[in-house]
Amino acid sequence: MDAEKRKSQILQVLAKSVRKVLEDERLDFTYLQEIRLRIGQPLRMIYRNEEKTLPVTKKEKCIVTKEEVRETMEYISHYSLYAYENELKQGFLTIEGGHRAGVTGKVIVEQGKVKNIQYISSINIRMSHEILGCSEKILPYITKNRQVCHTLIISPPRCGKTTLIRDLVRQISDGNTYVKGCTVGVVDERSELGGCYLGVAQNHLGSRTDVLDCCPKAEGMIMLIRSMAPQVIAVDEIGTQEDIHAIEYAMQCGCKMIASVHSTSMEEAKKKPILGELIRRKRFERYVVLQNEEKPGEIQGIYDERGSMLCKECWEAF
Amino acid sequence: MQRVLGSLLIITATTCGGLLYAAELKNYLEKLLYIRHVIYLIQGEMEYTNAPLSEVFGKISMRVKEPYRTWLKAMVQEVEERREQGFAKIWNRSIDKYLCELHLKSTHSIQLKELGTFLGQLDKESFRHTMQMYLNRLELEIEKVREGMASKRRISSWLGVMGGIFLVVVLL
Repeated sequence: MDAEKRKSQILQVLAKSVRKVLEDERLDFTYLQEIRLRIGQPLRMIYRNEEKTLPVTKKEKCIVTKEEVRETMEYISHYSLYAYENELKQGFLTIEGGHRAGVTGKVIVEQGKVKNIQYISSINIRMSHEILGCSEKILPYITKNRQVCHTLIISPPRCGKTTLIRDLVRQISDGNTYVKGCTVGVVDERSELGGCYLGVAQNHLGSRTDVLDCCPKAEGMIMLIRSMAPQVIAVDEIGTQEDIHAIEYAMQCGCKMIASVHSTSMEEAKKKPILGELIRRKRFERYVVLQNEEKPGEIQGIYDERGSMLCKECWEAF
Repeated sequence: MQRVLGSLLIITATTCGGLLYAAELKNYLEKLLYIRHVIYLIQGEMEYTNAPLSEVFGKISMRVKEPYRTWLKAMVQEVEERREQGFAKIWNRSIDKYLCELHLKSTHSIQLKELGTFLGQLDKESFRHTMQMYLNRLELEIEKVREGMASKRRISSWLGVMGGIFLVVVLL
């Protein structure tokens, strides 16, 4: 995605006054990671891995108003909050280009379940990063006989797991020295992998990739198996019991799995109730653990099904 | 001879005027019915696809006639370009600009504009209630227009003829 396109995607969802502050900064949007709007608090961003208060050069900082947050929400939702009710329940919306807007506010609970979020007070826009070729270094470790292994990417937030999966999907789909190009099914529950707009993926996911956009992961995996006969299925941020059962079902159907999960290490992932069971039963053949000590995309280690480390050194994938 | 011809022309003109007014009444009812049809389409599409307003308007614009098509297409563009801080402004302005040729009565125009205040703002359930409330009000208005229409059409037609005869008598 070129910088100009990225810039326009981000600026168009911001309130006009906030937009102006960012435009005046003359930023390179490729390095912009986050923009945070909190009512009554200064406008902040994470740029080149560093938090900055806007405007950077001026003493007087821009304090975000209630009206600016409301306006931003209008733009993010295309003036259609009703259409994003399900996403809002989970606390975020995905915007054009696969960028994610997280929100907090007053939560409406009905029968013990989150129904919606009202009076939104904070918005955190996290930029999606498409880095073509970022998975090249790990491909030799997660493939055997030019076939991809069941792989689980273990990573805390902001370490680049979505970026890594996206590129893995592209490489597996198109094929290269390490892997033979094959049909990949992507269940993109939050439109982050494909960044679909009107059903068409805006990011590069490869020529043999079928995307189920905005579909719950568990249902989506089963739908893909029945309808598209994928050789590889990719899903981001698995977590629920249904997701894990669907993964197991997909594995039994002969599909190779590429999945990611929020966790800081192999040990922590093993402690997760159902996922841990899957790991103990050695269902995944490879584990890629990411970290963000200096920058996103650092690989802490790659492990095989027995938990033996395949590569010891820490290195950067991106 | 000239007097007869003149009288005939006057009576014909006033009769036509009366008939045109009657046709206009029927036409107005048809406009309200078509607005109801468009709103039903919007409601159906929003409920079924759960898509954002721009997508909903885009799809419906293909299925409706002018000037509603241009109205919806213009809104698609304005929503996608995020021209206003709130959707109500886009909705109101586009009604004034593209539906002005319908010459809606101020009550009907205000009701239609009010709908824009709620569109897109609420959760699905609330928006369904709001849409239904507008449709019920529109239904009532349609009924009112329909009820009065038969007698008004008859009166206007006859008034045209009688008015013409009266004018001829006065002029002679």
